[in-house]
Amino acid sequence: MSTVPKETIEVIAQSIGITNLSPDVAFALAPDLEYRIREIMQESIKCMRHSKRTILTADDVDSALALRNLEPIYGFTSNDPLRFKRAAGHKDLFYIDDKDVEFKDLIEAPLPKAPLDTSITSHWLAIEGVQPAIPENAPVEAPTEIRKSSEYKEDGIPVDIKLPVKHVITKELQLYFDKITELVLNKPASIPFRRALISLATDMGLHPLVPYFSRFVADEVAQNLHNLTLLFALMRLVRSILQNPHIHIELYLHQLMPPIITCVVAKRIGNRLSDNHWELRNFSVNLVASICKRFGNVYHNLQPRVTKTFLHAFLDPTKALPQHYGAIKGIAALGSRLVRLFILPNLEPYLLLLEPEMQPEKQRNETKRQEAWQVYGALLCAVGQCMHERAKIFSNLLSPPTRASSRPNGKAMIAMSSKRKASTENLMQQQQPPLKKLATDAPGGVVPMNSMSVDMQMQGSAGAFSTMMGVPNVGASSMARQISNDNTMGREVGGQQSKVSSILAQAWKDDIDAGQLLSSVYELFGESLLSFIPKAEAGVFL
Amino acid sequence: MEEDEIAGYVTAYLKKKGFTQTEKIFQEEFQTNKTNSSPLEPDIAKHILSFSQLESGPARFHDGYSRLRSWTHCSLDLYKHELLRVLYPVFIHCFMDLVAKGHVQEARHFFNTFREDHEMMHLRDLQKLEGVLSPTHLEEMEFAHSLRQSKFNIKICEYSYELLLQHLHSTQSTTILGIINEHINFQVTPGQPSSIVDDPEAVTLSGSSQDAANQINQKEIHWGLLEDSLEERLEKASSLLSDSEKGEGEAKEGETEENKKRPVEGGKQGASIKKVKKDKGGSATGKNTKAEVNTVSAAPRVKPELPMPIIPTEVEQSILEDLRNRVQLSSVALPSVSFYTFLNTHNGLSCSSISHDGSLVAGGFSDSSLKVWDMAKLGEQTASSLSQDENDTSQNPQMGQSGGGKRQYTLFQGHSGPVYAASFSPVGEFILSSSADSTIRLWSTTYNANLVCYKGHNYPVWDVQFSPVGHYFASSSHDRTARIWSMERIQPLRIMAGHLSDVDCVQWHANCNYIATGSSDKTVRLWDVQSGECVRVFVGHRSMILSLAMSPDGRYMASGDEDGTIMMWDLSSGRCLTPLIGHTSCVWSLAFSCEGSVLASGSADCSVKLWDVNTSTKVSRAEEKSGNASRLRSLKTLPTKSTPVYALRFSRRNLLFAAGALAKNG
Repeated sequence: MSTVPKETIEVIAQSIGITNLSPDVAFALAPDLEYRIREIMQESIKCMRHSKRTILTADDVDSALALRNLEPIYGFTSNDPLRFKRAAGHKDLFYIDDKDVEFKDLIEAPLPKAPLDTSITSHWLAIEGVQPAIPENAPVEAPTEIRKSSEYKEDGIPVDIKLPVKHVITKELQLYFDKITELVLNKPASIPFRRALISLATDMGLHPLVPYFSRFVADEVAQNLHNLTLLFALMRLVRSILQNPHIHIELYLHQLMPPIITCVVAKRIGNRLSDNHWELRNFSVNLVASICKRFGNVYHNLQPRVTKTFLHAFLDPTKALPQHYGAIKGIAALGSRLVRLFILPNLEPYLLLLEPEMQPEKQRNETKRQEAWQVYGALLCAVGQCMHERAKIFSNLLSPPTRASSRPNGKAMIAMSSKRKASTENLMQQQQPPLKKLATDAPGGVVPMNSMSVDMQMQGSAGAFSTMMGVPNVGASSMARQISNDNTMGREVGGQQSKVSSILAQAWKDDIDAGQLLSSVYELFGESLLSFIPKAEAGVFL
Repeated sequence: MEEDEIAGYVTAYLKKKGFTQTEKIFQEEFQTNKTNSSPLEPDIAKHILSFSQLESGPARFHDGYSRLRSWTHCSLDLYKHELLRVLYPVFIHCFMDLVAKGHVQEARHFFNTFREDHEMMHLRDLQKLEGVLSPTHLEEMEFAHSLRQSKFNIKICEYSYELLLQHLHSTQSTTILGIINEHINFQVTPGQPSSIVDDPEAVTLSGSSQDAANQINQKEIHWGLLEDSLEERLEKASSLLSDSEKGEGEAKEGETEENKKRPVEGGKQGASIKKVKKDKGGSATGKNTKAEVNTVSAAPRVKPELPMPIIPTEVEQSILEDLRNRVQLSSVALPSVSFYTFLNTHNGLSCSSISHDGSLVAGGFSDSSLKVWDMAKLGEQTASSLSQDENDTSQNPQMGQSGGGKRQYTLFQGHSGPVYAASFSPVGEFILSSSADSTIRLWSTTYNANLVCYKGHNYPVWDVQFSPVGHYFASSSHDRTARIWSMERIQPLRIMAGHLSDVDCVQWHANCNYIATGSSDKTVRLWDVQSGECVRVFVGHRSMILSLAMSPDGRYMASGDEDGTIMMWDLSSGRCLTPLIGHTSCVWSLAFSCEGSVLASGSADCSVKLWDVNTSTKVSRAEEKSGNASRLRSLKTLPTKSTPVYALRFSRRNLLFAAGALAKNG
């Protein structure tokens, strides 16, 4: 009947030396015990309230016991609330996890740091009823309320004309900035730095510091390309600033973008060979992608400019492989559409370039080979994702009959190509025309780019149109040059491959048969591509 | 035939109760009257019959209640919410009857079966009652005691009442009927049932205590302001002062105040912006001054019943200066709030207090210490010492402690238990602190020493407050009394006894003739300081009262409770004007602005709320006749960064100071 079972009473009795407690007594005592416990708890709650707390502590129970002239409970005093653990198998049974501590350990342990002394700080919670956006105040969530209050202020108060304000940074903010920069430069792996990142991502009132931070990032990136950890710390800093909802970062994007892109396509990052600069590149690519996604529709020329930079890096064979890697990753991160526009048409010749670098017999340098493989992986990933999305679209679009018809097509083509592979005689003959076509079709090369920039325009990039026009030309011509280079070198190129290249060259077209595209890409990458394509679609296309 | 039966029941009953004498007499009378007695009505016979079943054991409570409950839940939607109100009183009285009769096990079973129904509204009461397991507990516990002795008032419409009675009669649930008759007082109102919105007066606890309260509330009180107060003097003076001069004075003062504040606040905001705003405020003040003066002077004047201390002239001058430069607050012009955050308190801060000018901040700690910060001095040092301290600690932690030699605060040690309250004298030269060691100590801030230790309470002293004129102070304690003291005597002048539980908070009336006390018995009482009598009882809170505030014109009082409800009371009528609902946790502190137009409340839910008092009281005054009390308007919520607000204080210039200890999350 009482929540205290009579066994409890018996146990307590035994613990104080009463062995022959009759069950009746236990039965009678149980409800009284419960009542007393509740009484003590009621008093404890009073003590808790008067200590202005909302969590009951052992101290409160002690003072409640003192009120009733009882001995306090020893051994639980702590200013922090106790941490309870749920007893396994019981729904509402808790206990305090009490660890055994060795005396020896306790004695030998160094003296703990003295706790910080109590202090007071003051700030404005509100000025004339309006909360200033300073770090000490909680983030404002209710703009509706502000609007309401402004309604009252409408009556007849003249409009304030804001004079140009000298940019003054308070001492606190200066301290904050110094602390953060110091952490970045000296202890980028420490826990305080992680805290600082969280603070940067959430605190209000940091806006005045943003120009300083962006300047800092730009400077440090420029000077410390060899220091991978520092670069990483800087990129994390940028990410935190980007995450902060109270900062209008778009005003400083022009300052922030160059260092980030540098971290993507820099020629050489880090001192040692073991430095994992790939990760940094990936990280920075994600930053770029998120920026483009967030501000792309506000700043029309942002994405085209970024794309341009990446494309430059990608299409220049003189650039180092890590740069290519960054560029490919960057383009891929900006969307599969760009992969289709820029990478697929150039895929085949590029792979030709890359292939010798990947083979141990042709490229003796171990690191170079690894780099090549990394690039290959990035390419595979980019193309695979693109194809994955294509395949998804088409699986939606294709009605069963067309699917059925496309299947033999694909098969036939593969069969055909394999036939062609077999006949080596045709090789040289068939090699010429498509290449010529590519090389001579300079205007043809422009057309797709035109359509691309029109697409861009549809995204809203009116201003970027003219600037973009130049780039694809360069891209196309360089590509052409590249291919003619290959040609003159007299490489053995399979006829089937030429077919592939022609298909790939058309990849920018929206209505190109995904099946053909896929199979040609499949030719280039082999089985490894299949992992990107959903099973069903793969079955359809191959 | 029926009569015989009845007679049989009656005799059986009498036998059972051991009324042998009565039984005999009854038998005799029954015999003599048998012939000429008029036959009893069959209805009554039936009733008596059912009464005889009363003895059938504890199950009938359970049955009766569950029948009533299911009937109520099946009743017409329109009347359902009214009928549901009846369930709770019936429930707790069924339970207590069962306990009182010794059917403890059944009582527990009954309680657990139906407790969920009432948990939402009455969780705290249920928790208290849950532990009651024997008739002696029932006697011992003041809450149960008061429940047994008092009646519930339930407002109900005519039709619902009829429905209920019909049901009870038709089902012959006499047990329930008995409880309802005994413990519920129906206030039957003609017409439609009241709206479903929670009407605070729909269910009220009353009975003997309520009657007493009503009787007490009949007494006359003089809520007016003191004659010859400083405000009045200022008013006279200001009528002489020409407007232009005043404007100048204000502008100047605004600047000096700003200068004073700047070191304190560390110049966090652009000074220029503040200035513009200040000036605007100033101009608004100029316009509104007259109106404000009128409202204050509208309050009647009363003579002080206590001998008043004499205020030194220079203090008077400075106060007058402050009053002249007061910023006029209203729903349009909200106050500026300066927040003092206690850091590194290690959960030890149990109270906080701010002096009238906001320059001194006191914190009472659970380690028995009282610490006082001088914010004006602190502001000068902060910039330099802060950076130094940080360097110190980072370089050698050992030095950090020795650096504590020049603490930022004054440490007052003397108590031997947690310090639960602190209060500054109006001028700021004295601090009172009350502690769990049942003493109150008076400290001097000029000499940094303990002057007097007041002993009188027998239990922890929860609260202590200086009177608005200083010299006198009031304390409240766990021993269920509040006491009035003067600084120069170590014995209390008056002891106010009457609360049924701890007196948790105390507050002086503006004219010093009354004090208000809030208690764990969920009532607020107003006491006459001169006679020591209770002159008002305010009933309506649902949980322990934690904070009180008196409006400067002396007409209204606000009280805040554990659940976050704030109630605004009219002192003269003793009625609640409106509950202010918005806080979600304990209201630790309340403060009226100096002209009484804005009420600020600080809560454990880490926010300061500002409430519009003017419109609400005006509205209520206008609509008093129509009996429609509108809710007070919440003007603004100012959330803090995980800092519960412990103390609030409007300075004489209407700058709001708030203090709280930063709580670590998680």
